[in-house]
Amino acid sequence: MSSVLQSKKKVMQKAKAICEAMLSDLEKAQRPVLTAVKCSLDNSIYNAKVGYFTPGDKMVRSELNVSSVQKLSRTIFVLDILLNNLEIDAVNTKREIYYMTKGLTINGEHKSLDFEEQSECDSIIDYIMDLLEIYREEFNCFAGDRGGQTYSQQLVVTEFLNDGEKAVVDLSTLGTMPYQPKNKPQALKLKVKKKVDFCLVVESEGTANTLVTMGFTKRHNCILMGAMGVPTNGVRGWCKLIQDQLKVPIYFYGDLDAYTLQNIYRTLKAGSAASLIRNKDFSAPEVRFLGLLPEDIKKYNLPYRVVKENNPKEARALKKAKDALKNDPFFQDKKNKKLTQILHFLIKNKIRCEQQALMSVDPKDPLKPEKIIIEKIKSGSWV
Amino acid sequence: MADQQITSSSTAEYFAKNLQQVGFSSPTKAVLTTLKESVDNALDACEDHQILPELHVEILKLGPGGGRNTDLISIRVSDNGPGLKPEDLPRVFGEYLASSKFGRGRCSRGQQGIGISAATTWAQLTNACGVKVKSKTSAMKKAVSMQIDVNIKKNQGIVKNKETFDWDRKHGTEIEFQIDGRLQSKGDGGLFTYLEATILVNPHLTLHYFIHGMDDWKRTERVTDVVPVVPPSSLPHPHTMKLGEFITHAMAFGKTSLKNFLSKGFSRVTPGSIELMMKNGLKKTYINKSIISIGEAELKKVFAAIQNTELPSPSTKTVLTVGEEALSKSILRLGEIDFFSVLTRKPKVCDFKPVVVEVAIARFKDRPGDADDSIQLLRFANRVPLQFDKGGCAITKAAESVNWRSYGLNQSKKSLPTGPYVMAISLTSPFIKFKNASKETVDSSDELVEEIRRALMQAGQKLAKHLKREQKAGELERKLKYIEKYGPILVTGLVKILKAPERRKDKALKGLSQILGRDTELAVEELEVADQKLEALESEAS
Ligand SMILES: Nc1ncnc2c1ncn2[C@@H]1O[C@H](COP(=O)(O)OP(=O)(O)OP(=O)(O)O)[C@@H](O)[C@H]1O
Ligand SMILES: [Mg+2]
Repeated sequence: MSSVLQSKKKVMQKAKAICEAMLSDLEKAQRPVLTAVKCSLDNSIYNAKVGYFTPGDKMVRSELNVSSVQKLSRTIFVLDILLNNLEIDAVNTKREIYYMTKGLTINGEHKSLDFEEQSECDSIIDYIMDLLEIYREEFNCFAGDRGGQTYSQQLVVTEFLNDGEKAVVDLSTLGTMPYQPKNKPQALKLKVKKKVDFCLVVESEGTANTLVTMGFTKRHNCILMGAMGVPTNGVRGWCKLIQDQLKVPIYFYGDLDAYTLQNIYRTLKAGSAASLIRNKDFSAPEVRFLGLLPEDIKKYNLPYRVVKENNPKEARALKKAKDALKNDPFFQDKKNKKLTQILHFLIKNKIRCEQQALMSVDPKDPLKPEKIIIEKIKSGSWV
Repeated sequence: MADQQITSSSTAEYFAKNLQQVGFSSPTKAVLTTLKESVDNALDACEDHQILPELHVEILKLGPGGGRNTDLISIRVSDNGPGLKPEDLPRVFGEYLASSKFGRGRCSRGQQGIGISAATTWAQLTNACGVKVKSKTSAMKKAVSMQIDVNIKKNQGIVKNKETFDWDRKHGTEIEFQIDGRLQSKGDGGLFTYLEATILVNPHLTLHYFIHGMDDWKRTERVTDVVPVVPPSSLPHPHTMKLGEFITHAMAFGKTSLKNFLSKGFSRVTPGSIELMMKNGLKKTYINKSIISIGEAELKKVFAAIQNTELPSPSTKTVLTVGEEALSKSILRLGEIDFFSVLTRKPKVCDFKPVVVEVAIARFKDRPGDADDSIQLLRFANRVPLQFDKGGCAITKAAESVNWRSYGLNQSKKSLPTGPYVMAISLTSPFIKFKNASKETVDSSDELVEEIRRALMQAGQKLAKHLKREQKAGELERKLKYIEKYGPILVTGLVKILKAPERRKDKALKGLSQILGRDTELAVEELEVADQKLEALESEAS
């Protein structure tokens, strides 16, 4: 099993150590102080050799005082719920936890916590994770799964269940239906029945499914996955698992626009600032950018669209891309120079080209996109 | 048409036809105007005789009115003023332009001698019966009562049913009108609004009132025993006059020499200024000539020379103020108040006229209403509430031009702020320039608007201190509540997670309350500082 999987005991120990420090400070009438990693872009370090964002040394200090007493009490209250879950192997989503806080009483009183909105409770959960530097999944708290639909004729997944049992899934038996990884990569073990040549992650799950239905996975020894937009923890951990356990090249195929490059591809490859403490296990630094590339537009004469600056959404995306060039350590690193150049190209020309544009190359040939993708992989037409 | 005759209508006839110009433009307004003229007169009379006013006001609905959509309304106002001699009564109530205040130049409420006769005319026109008056001066043994109608053709009062009777008071006047009208009690043009506004700027007034619909009489006690002294009138300042007014004024001096006319007929004209006028084109040879011998055409040139000569500003001694202390006490009579801010500016000359601005802003606890409703704006000119046409008024303009948000009030751009506040703005000046004859809107010269604006900004700063203090108090309360609520949860949670013994819990709770207690002390200190600032402000005012 991977090193990612820390034992239940370790999580408990960490949590209790923090609680013990707080309680004994209180007994001495001293102000307890909690320190957590500051999870923001200005505290993100990108080292190309490491491959993902790691935390800098900025910390967020919360000292107990009248202004912070609410946050700290809520933290301890929710921590208690999470620890309890862990102890009895109960699993919950954030929303379920939010409702649990509504049902629990403290000193016989309801509503002691006043979480009016779920977002208030969510941010406390996130804070606990940053504080203990552990993953939410290790606390049996999961987010709704989205994306990561996977197709393969070779892949076999073994899941280790909480009760000690195992579940084995052979993806070749699923036909055109996808396998969707649960948001807990730590509990999965991968095996291939026959050597796999590559893994292709497609931004649009619809396009991924089209490729499968047209026989992509039958013709190529591969793993095909739909990302469904910005990758969730599930998708990110799953890619990392494929990278580490199978050691196959991973290619990402999506739109040629600033949003895809910045939010989808960068997150998949190097993680995000908000998840600094988990990028290690939730990013796949070796994933390659297959396209679309600016040169593809010319080569295949692809139709593209002009960014409308009077559309607030598109104008904002453009502004964010400019900011990324200024502030995002990922795009500032020499190793990602080619990606940075693409961003410059997009900002300068104010155009975007969508992944489905390949359909325009030869509308009479449904296999044309597949052919181009394979051609690009074989010829090294990626970044 | 040959047989058409040119007639000269009497003053009374003119006003009878143009009552809408003097406040009788609708049945609703007629009730308010009648009340207003009666109360203003009573207050003026008391002030002139240094009597502490005690007024009774009763407004009843007697039945349907004569006109469409009207009621027969009775308006009765009784005062403890000096009273009127029986022979004066028909002149006061039945004759236009019979006034002891005529001739301008003082800050009295009444100015022209039109008000009460117009009310009598309205009563007579709508209900065929003038005013019923009871009156007694201290020199009279018995009081007199009579009905007075207006002889519109002759501008004369007609006395009916005159009787004498024993009255249980030394002196005073009671008048009753029965008119066609409609009752509106609330809102800008409401009767209650009028009474409330009158109470506010007359701290020395004790008022008893009953308005149709109330359960019982209400009594509001005076908060000061000082009767305001209306300073004696001043002569007009030459720069406030128009040519026509100047010539009329001059003609009244007839045989007087020009030199004497200039120095006796005006304020601020010194021998020195006459010298200056001569440099500016006033013919030397005129100086000792009599006014009549100069003639109108030449007077025009004299007028021009005066206008071109710099003169000292008029004296500001002719204005009177209610005063911050009295206003502060008076405002508390209007309801339950969270806090207030009052301000009296120093008298100032605007457009060559002395003027003084006073402001009172209060936040009420007992005036629910939408948070985004505008504040209630009370405007006053010489202590008379202005209740209509607030749009173009200098006072409204000034209030809208202030950035109230910077003092902690809510406001959308260039409009009145919102919230349960009453903002009273009072102008006092012997020469208030109104936009039109109905005297509801003060003409907005830039200078005057700026002066009002300054006053409002100063009052706003005071208000901000209150709001700041309130905010600090709110913070303290919130912090205390937080500690009470969240402190125990923290300790209970820690003890539970650690499965710690009860003894540790108690100790930790004690430690917690020590820590948070220190914070609370800090918050209390902050509040005290805010309190001190407020106190300093208040002692500065008194
Ligand atoms: N209640 C009263 N007690 C004593 N004197 C009064 C009373 N009411 C009116 N008078 C006298 O009658 C005069 C005429 O009153 P009237 O209201 O017609 O004119 P005004 O108050 O001088 O001016 P305006 O037309 O502006 O009201 C007053 O100047 C005052 O001398
Ligand atoms: Mg009057």
